Amino acid sequence: MTVVPAQQQSRGSGGSSGLYDVLELVLDRGLVIDAFIRVSLVGIEILKIDIRIVVASVDTYLRFAEACNRLDLEAGPRKDPGLPDLLGEMTESGARGKTKGALSGAAQTIADSFQQGRDEETEESDAKPRATRTRRPATRKPKEDSE
Amino acid sequence: MSVYVYGIAASAHPDLPENAAGIGDPPRPVRIVSQGRIKALVSDAPEKIRPKRRDLLAHQDVLRQAGESGPVLPLRFGGVSPDDETLLSVLAEKEEYYVERLAALDGMVEYNLKATHDEEAVLYRVLSDDPALRESVEAGRRTGGGSHEDKVRLGERVAQAVQTREVQDADLVRATLRNLSEEVSAGPKSVGWLANLSFLVARDRSAELVNAVDVIRQENPHLVLTVTGPLPPYSFVE
Repeated sequence: MTVVPAQQQSRGSGGSSGLYDVLELVLDRGLVIDAFIRVSLVGIEILKIDIRIVVASVDTYLRFAEACNRLDLEAGPRKDPGLPDLLGEMTESGARGKTKGALSGAAQTIADSFQQGRDEETEESDAKPRATRTRRPATRKPKEDSE
Repeated sequence: MSVYVYGIAASAHPDLPENAAGIGDPPRPVRIVSQGRIKALVSDAPEKIRPKRRDLLAHQDVLRQAGESGPVLPLRFGGVSPDDETLLSVLAEKEEYYVERLAALDGMVEYNLKATHDEEAVLYRVLSDDPALRESVEAGRRTGGGSHEDKVRLGERVAQAVQTREVQDADLVRATLRNLSEEVSAGPKSVGWLANLSFLVARDRSAELVNAVDVIRQENPHLVLTVTGPLPPYSFVE
């Protein structure tokens, strides 16, 4: 197992992203043995992190309307420094696929990101979401509101 | 002394990470407990176990090391047996089941994929797919956005278009990648990704899966896809 976040972490997430991205698997999946004592996970809002779905609300609608107003429809998607250069990324990953194979060419292994996470040395349950990476118009309300 | 359990492997597993750093501070060394045709990766349990970063990483890392040379059934973080005897009796009781699962997962790894929309890119996408909607946006702009009600109405149409796109994209990702995998498992629904899927993949098909994700990415620049793997098959042990 020598691989991969099989992708470009184009948004500059920190070294703990490996942990963040598998957090709910470690905490919510995996074998559970009935005869065992389970550690209490109170305090971790693991299933509520990073709500990014579109929510039906007036607030959301207004945000979308404003976001649309900001678009330059003639020019198409602008090259925002905060956005990945899609063309460059495509070329790069295509070339990587040819020369080394996507797996060996991956920028960072899980082991690496976990190691970095360990080195950061944090106590307490900092199993919190990293900062939201993209601007979303609908991050404010939980999903329940949509029904 | 209570026993923290990381995972279960076959007794034929060639290289379990004995003495690896487990959970706790200082890290408790990993030891191996054998019962019949299976073994468990365990360590002494620290007095108090909480889901700290250090311990989550240790749990994952022990399983990652064990998975490198043979199948392993990962336990969910935080499984503690009151003592060795309880553990041994559980292993004995479920030996057949564990042996069967280990055989089924031999050579398999899990890849987790999370998908979201890039906000700006998806807005371009839905407006270019729907000329009438685009015209409404442009008309609104010419009139300075219109009244509050106009804005709400327009925003609602855009939001619906984006929601429809979320469903389409989730289907696209799932349908494309399921062909390359043995099984698909959806992650907890309340996490707000438009798709949060785990794929059980033969290790030697990993590159195919990763390349397929790259293709989706290239063809759909409004999709932000995060792929993580190979992982112990957390989502496929039950």
